[in-house]
Amino acid sequence: MADREPETREVNLFSGEHAAAPQPLYRELVTKCPFARAAFSGSPVLSRYEDVLWALRHPEIFSSEMEMHMALGTERPMIPQQIDPPAQTKYRKILDPRFSKKRMLEIAPDVRRHANELIDAFLERGECEFDREFAVPLPCTAFLSLMGLPQSELPRFLRIKDMIIRPQTLLAEPTLEASQALRKDAGRQIYTFFGDLIDERRRKPGSDMVSYLLETEIDGQRLTREEILDVSFLLILAGLDTVTATLGCNIAYLAANPAQRRRLIEKPELIPAAVEELLRWETPVAAVPRVVKQEVEVHGVKLEKGTLVTLLIGASNIDEGEFSEPERVDFERERNKHLAFGGGPHRCLGSHLARLELEVAMEVWHQRIPDYRIKPGETPRYSPGIREVQYLPLVWDRA
Amino acid sequence: MKLAVDFERCTGHGRCYALAPHVFDADDHGHCVLLAAEVPPAHQREARSAVLNCPEDAIAITEE
Repeated sequence: MADREPETREVNLFSGEHAAAPQPLYRELVTKCPFARAAFSGSPVLSRYEDVLWALRHPEIFSSEMEMHMALGTERPMIPQQIDPPAQTKYRKILDPRFSKKRMLEIAPDVRRHANELIDAFLERGECEFDREFAVPLPCTAFLSLMGLPQSELPRFLRIKDMIIRPQTLLAEPTLEASQALRKDAGRQIYTFFGDLIDERRRKPGSDMVSYLLETEIDGQRLTREEILDVSFLLILAGLDTVTATLGCNIAYLAANPAQRRRLIEKPELIPAAVEELLRWETPVAAVPRVVKQEVEVHGVKLEKGTLVTLLIGASNIDEGEFSEPERVDFERERNKHLAFGGGPHRCLGSHLARLELEVAMEVWHQRIPDYRIKPGETPRYSPGIREVQYLPLVWDRA
Repeated sequence: MKLAVDFERCTGHGRCYALAPHVFDADDHGHCVLLAAEVPPAHQREARSAVLNCPEDAIAITEE
């Protein structure tokens, strides 16, 4: 492999500086280095729109079936994210209807009420820390109501999610071993909690997700206990963190760009398109991993079976091969085929839930707090990986 | 105007029925359904928007 490899550059996708403003690196990769290598691991990084889209659409080459040593506290692959078609297709057939746009509209009133309640708690104060007081709790409500769980479970799920997604932030000495141990511990807690929940719902079914999974069938067969656990695990990991990150990225952008914010206040009907454009520009889930399942050549480099590849969706979303004036944030963009929810068979299962939460939250927030800014003297802090704005202090004038 | 949908490509992003609700609907799985073979002039603008925003390139204009 090495003898044929053209000059590539090594990129560190896991620094806080990059997470805060990733577009300069994206631009460089897309225009000059469509085949890069990740620092430390050396694994290939693909960034051009056409390459990323091609990889997303070809799971038979770029598989989602990761090695389990990469696991996020799981003992088996998460369903359906970490398995490929044709098995994945069968799971999507039973899960997609539960996450359709029409069904998600049913929870809009709940999301709206919760958004208002969260704002009630700090509106008069004239300031808030947006992540902790709004972006983190809001998506949890939707998750808990889908699962038919009481809102009092919120702290438990937040803690478990952090143990898995960013264990380093909870450790005094964040070594890889300690992080993996924390993830395993969280994983066991999830299996235990949902194992108990399965027993309970089997005795007393409701209209929640676990009850649905207990009664549904694939090819005439009920799902096993393990299959239900492997779906539930994914819903926790994917359902909580991603919308939190997107809310933070959106509000941080609008706080720093008052002219754009004013357009949304003057024309609230632009909010759905603004949500799409900010998903493109910010791409909070900036990268997704794939593993090469059959030998393939990319940009003149032969990739062996088993190679871990990073698809840099954030970069592909500002590729001028696909987007006109890609670095202009335009809420009236005519053509926006962004890949923030991925594409191909693994297209984000929760994309309609995410869009609903984002649109409702943006609408309620701007009705109630139209004029806000970053607290003077403070700087928002972005986490690497999934770009959560973990520290976002905002201020506004009190009425 | 006539449209064609490649249902093999559609993975249920749902951009078409969000942007062009007079032209597309969703089935139970969230995949798109073409409401009528012929798009009347009043809805052609939104139909074009759906074509331009489908991340799977699953919709084509077959007749202007």
